[in-house]
Amino acid sequence: MDFEPKILVFACNWCSYAGADLAGTSRLQYAPNVRIVRVMCSGMVNPALILHAFRMGFDGVVVAGCHPGDCHYNVGNYYAKKRIVLLRELLEFVGFESERLKLLWASASEGKKFAEEMNEFTEKIRELGPQEKFRRCQK
Amino acid sequence: MKKEESKISKIKDRVAKLLEKDVSVFIAYERMPFELKDRLTIISSPKEVDKISVSPFMVGSPARMLLEIGGIDDGKIGIIARACDTRAIKQLIKEGKIKRERVYIMGITCGGMVNTRKLRSPRFENGRLYDHDREVHMKDVLYDTCSRCEDPLPVLYDEVFDVFDVFEGVSKADESTEEIEGDREKRWSYWMGEMEKCIRCYACRSACPMCYCTECLVDPINLAVSPFTSAEEKASYPRFLGKTISAEDNLFYHIIRVLHHAGRCADCGECERACPMDIPIRELERKMREVVRDVFGYDDDEIPFLAKLDMIPEGR
Repeated sequence: MDFEPKILVFACNWCSYAGADLAGTSRLQYAPNVRIVRVMCSGMVNPALILHAFRMGFDGVVVAGCHPGDCHYNVGNYYAKKRIVLLRELLEFVGFESERLKLLWASASEGKKFAEEMNEFTEKIRELGPQEKFRRCQK
Repeated sequence: MKKEESKISKIKDRVAKLLEKDVSVFIAYERMPFELKDRLTIISSPKEVDKISVSPFMVGSPARMLLEIGGIDDGKIGIIARACDTRAIKQLIKEGKIKRERVYIMGITCGGMVNTRKLRSPRFENGRLYDHDREVHMKDVLYDTCSRCEDPLPVLYDEVFDVFDVFEGVSKADESTEEIEGDREKRWSYWMGEMEKCIRCYACRSACPMCYCTECLVDPINLAVSPFTSAEEKASYPRFLGKTISAEDNLFYHIIRVLHHAGRCADCGECERACPMDIPIRELERKMREVVRDVFGYDDDEIPFLAKLDMIPEGR
């Protein structure tokens, strides 16, 4: 059976979720592997949530937020950036593929960019293959 | 060695003097009865000062103890602190956990702590360390953290006592993280091998002066349990990490713990000293330190790292 990656997207309510919505309403097709979770701000995405997603068997995780300076809560995306850079470095250090975690800036008007980025990321994960390292169930 | 003993008696005199008026309690070390280790103790009267021991066998972070007793009474708390302890205290003051004016910091110069696990039957006589009958050089049996200590002099103090000669071998060039050789798969299997040993006793968390969250990620305590709470409800209460035994989950815990220490770790190595399974947790902490310094360019600022927002590394 072909490998179909499962991708989890944490999209911020104010920019990225609206961007994803725009991609939908403007009928842009993008990979159906993407599952979107709406969060109020990218700054609320606890690194533990990301690791938990990997543990539950997701092959890739994207945290999508507003562009720097555009955050609805002023600084939430700065926190997100800091956390994700640190987490990526640590994951790489312990030998986990840090490409599986992506931080994306997408504003509400960037439906096209969102769709393109999702397609690109899905292809990248497809090349990397299934995520077996953190997955809880049988290997 | 006579010299060192006279230095220690000088410290004792000073502690006794301070206890008489300025300071209400003193955090110091005393020798454990049947083991070559000094443990933390609280000294509250000048009569007890003879208990004080200052040696290369001190275990436990006085900064942690300071944090725990800090809120109890209003008097000033004295503390005998090594360089790493002063770094931890400085960070705790920065984070508003301790008031500077409530602590009297008696800094001591430090030559590194001896890892007695590296010896079979350690004995300490007349200032010399023996394993069985063979004499051992202190330098050969120091903790890795200590032999790589970046700054063996106290950074924050009210007075400093020169007790031990600062360890000569301390090299600042040696401070960078050693990447474990090989590719990802090798690193992953190395860490899985290490994490398999972890028994999740949380000794690293209890020993760490920076781990002071009232509710830790791994023990959900805010579920209000009443007689009507069903077993199912208790069992399915959402938590990130339950009582599991898999190596991945142990790594999960350690990654999150280290992430919480970004830019705060005092590099004291208490976590490794406390670990009963000898897991190199410090490697993760050191990596974090390197990222904070090299990628973000943060260096011991007035604002804590996690609260500083104008540092966005480009191209990451």
